[in-house]
Amino acid sequence: MARSQESFRLRDFLFFGIATVAVFALCVCVGSVSIPLKDTARAIWNSIWGLPVPEGISNPIILSVRLPRVICVALVGASLSICGGAMQGLLKNPLADGSTLGVSSGASLGAVIAIAFNITIPSFPFAGTMVMAIIFAFISLLLILSLAYRLDYSLSTNTIILIGVIYSMFVSATMSLVITFAYDKLRHITFWTMGSLQGSSYQNALVLLGALIIFGGVILSRARELNAFAIGEDNARHIGVNVKGVKLTILITVSALIGVCVSIGGVIAFVGLVTPHMVRMIVGPNHKRLLPASVFAGAIFLMLADLLARILFNPLELPIGVVTSFIGSFVFVIIFYRSRQVS
Amino acid sequence: MPILEVKNLTVRYGNLTIVDNVSFSLEQGRWLMIIGPNGAGKSTIAKAITQGVDYTGQVLWEGMDIKQMKPTEIAKRIGVLTQSHLMGYSFTVEEVVRLGRYSYAPGIFSPRDDQDIEQVEAALEKTGLAKLRNQSILTLSGGELQRTFLAQIFAQDPLLLLLDEPTNHLDLLYQKQVLGLIRDWIRTTGRTVVSVVHDLSLAKAYGTDALLINKGKLVTVGAIEEVLTRENLHAVYDMDVNDWMCSLLGQWQG
Amino acid sequence: MKFIRLLATVCVLALLLTFVAACDKKAAPETTTAAPSTEDAPAETTADIPETTAEATTEATGEADATDSAEGPITVTDMLDREITLTEPATRVVALTASDCEIIWALGAGDLLVGRGEYCDYPAEVLDIPSVQSGAETNIEQIIALEPQIIFMNKMAQSEETVAQLEEAGVKVVICDAANIEEVYTSIALIGSVMDKNDEANAVIEGMKADFAEVAELATGDGTETVYFEVSPLEYGLWTAGNGTFMNEIANLIGLKNCFEDVEGWGEISEEQVLERNPDYIVTISMYFGEGPTPVEEILSRKGWGDVTAVKNEAILNLQNNELSRPGPRLADGAKLLYEFVYVTMARK
Repeated sequence: MARSQESFRLRDFLFFGIATVAVFALCVCVGSVSIPLKDTARAIWNSIWGLPVPEGISNPIILSVRLPRVICVALVGASLSICGGAMQGLLKNPLADGSTLGVSSGASLGAVIAIAFNITIPSFPFAGTMVMAIIFAFISLLLILSLAYRLDYSLSTNTIILIGVIYSMFVSATMSLVITFAYDKLRHITFWTMGSLQGSSYQNALVLLGALIIFGGVILSRARELNAFAIGEDNARHIGVNVKGVKLTILITVSALIGVCVSIGGVIAFVGLVTPHMVRMIVGPNHKRLLPASVFAGAIFLMLADLLARILFNPLELPIGVVTSFIGSFVFVIIFYRSRQVS
Repeated sequence: MPILEVKNLTVRYGNLTIVDNVSFSLEQGRWLMIIGPNGAGKSTIAKAITQGVDYTGQVLWEGMDIKQMKPTEIAKRIGVLTQSHLMGYSFTVEEVVRLGRYSYAPGIFSPRDDQDIEQVEAALEKTGLAKLRNQSILTLSGGELQRTFLAQIFAQDPLLLLLDEPTNHLDLLYQKQVLGLIRDWIRTTGRTVVSVVHDLSLAKAYGTDALLINKGKLVTVGAIEEVLTRENLHAVYDMDVNDWMCSLLGQWQG
Repeated sequence: MKFIRLLATVCVLALLLTFVAACDKKAAPETTTAAPSTEDAPAETTADIPETTAEATTEATGEADATDSAEGPITVTDMLDREITLTEPATRVVALTASDCEIIWALGAGDLLVGRGEYCDYPAEVLDIPSVQSGAETNIEQIIALEPQIIFMNKMAQSEETVAQLEEAGVKVVICDAANIEEVYTSIALIGSVMDKNDEANAVIEGMKADFAEVAELATGDGTETVYFEVSPLEYGLWTAGNGTFMNEIANLIGLKNCFEDVEGWGEISEEQVLERNPDYIVTISMYFGEGPTPVEEILSRKGWGDVTAVKNEAILNLQNNELSRPGPRLADGAKLLYEFVYVTMARK
């Protein structure tokens, strides 16, 4: 008897893996400055094997600028995407995402407060903003969800959108207030509302990778529970899911991942909305496939968006958030339209 | 020892007392019908048993307090079938049914053994869904959807089944199918059922025991024929239910 | 049901709008650059009115000559081509932009300043003068309460309603908005004539002209060496000043080539482009808050920048006081600082 396999198969891994590697290669080879493919390959090959790298500007451009940036972009895309997928399952709503709910803005508010009031953790210069971003992402999620549950227990699409709008306004008002108190840091602060992955370093990539492996791993390990939530929270409880525990785990891990991403790349909207939606059309709603596929697809999507941001108006750069918001708004309307047709 | 025992169950929402100090117990192999007018607190009792609402008092499974049990341990003992609504995502029938086995292997690394697969297959066969296994649940009819969740419960294989008006909005044929499947299941496996029902004729047709509740307070509980007496029903529904039922059914004779 | 649908649609629109607004913020250079620059009108804002300002130059200076001899009403044409008539020279003025504030101070009329925009910070004495909100949050009530005769402001973020309300309250609005050095002279002359400081204005203008002429004379560059102006550091996305900015103009003045002269106004540019264009000098206007590496050290430590000529030679200048971005008298100082750095400090190395 033919039994359908639930989890991510080798074939899927190959398909998504090859696509990701291909896009990665494309993004490293194409950029603001055009560098022959041969030089690009040699620069990377030689540095991997510790051979002396040839002279010339192409090496620093590839190795110090483009490569770390593309890696960071891919990791941020993957992280935001898996977070989006997890939240859409948990809340049984395809429009739930860090940016639509306002969690990302909440995280950036945390980072801003850390900068404005010099909240630092001794001997970890970067950790202050990151920890604050994570804490604020978590507080935001708790606030948003408790408000949403109070208004409408079934968390309908309308409620989600409404809460997202209200909360984003609240955050932007608070941010203006913080800026009034810390005017001299205005420029630092403006960054958190924008989203830029210029100047990403290998250290950033390492932090992102660590976060993705740890928190992404936890999210992946809850794939079955998320399936149950995606069918219905009551059903999840009836089949024996520890509803409160799983919810808390997912909320904490999602907040942590979004917090890390925001503290490194600022707010990049809609990534967690667009990619899980597209992936769901390919592999179906089962989180055992959806989540791993979202990791790859998120990386692909954000790398391509970043590529557009880098080359569209060369030598000028577009903020990456502009590109994702542009695409995301359209997808948002499409999902919204469809979800209303069904119900 | 009774399989399920409820002691002094009280549920409050704010100042409102929905269930007021209700106690009863149930032996294995029985089918208990919880009966009462709208808003009497029937569904709330069912919810309290599955830990879906906060309550005071005790719910005991073979003498053990359910509150102390892990969710998976509860799920192995009690399954719940409620009215199902349209689902958000297009899971397949088989995916939904497989989730019924969750409590036996909740970890991501817990292996799925042959018994899991057998149970799922048997549940699909028993409910006649084998052919629909790969169909999206968004495309099912109301009856097919309800059978899918019934199959999930068969896969879950609980000792007690809690029905919260699962057949209310179904067409008659599907009502008959679903209730028939449940009765067969009880008879062949010796399981126990607790049912929240609206329809007194259904209650009488399928139940062995009944619990009559009004405005959150227990009126009476016991064997179904002892509970559904003219006097008891009159006290709760404020009319002669027996007469009315007889006159309704009389229309169908011949 | 219809109502819910309508509500939902409105919500979607609102959400989209928020994002569009966020994008707007991202696209506008002034929000990302150093805070005071919100007031230092970036070049492109005035780029569309070159003829009118040229006209204003002659008229403003012309009027100034006329009022020199005769007491009586002063009529000037401001840099939006609006005519303003005063019965007597202004003795109570408010300046919203930092540059106008500096000009008034340079004219020796600092004691006539009764209010200043919140971002005015030079010279330090300015900070003692009551500040009012400026820019998009211009607070009309605050301004009127100071009872000025004249308020100087620039075009940015001043709506016609603001102007109308101020004029209704009896405050005359004079718009100063310079996009190049020639227009800075116009602003100075305009402010001088309004405040009866024509001689002082002429002296400041002549002084600036002399300074510029001196550095232009001394500068030996032939336009082959390049300079890269960094307005915003890497951490926040690189922003540079391109064609049509004061930095570009002054670079050309002393014989340097702005390596991003193909960029119009201010813009976010790609890090790769800086490496490829390999500037000989880097000028950063980042502020230093006293923690971590200084802006110069930060640039020197950037990964992959080691082969850039300016980094190799440590030819990086940090100007923190808006000398090269504010359309005021200190542009001449900025030109001198840049000249000294390129032709004295670096040449000595």
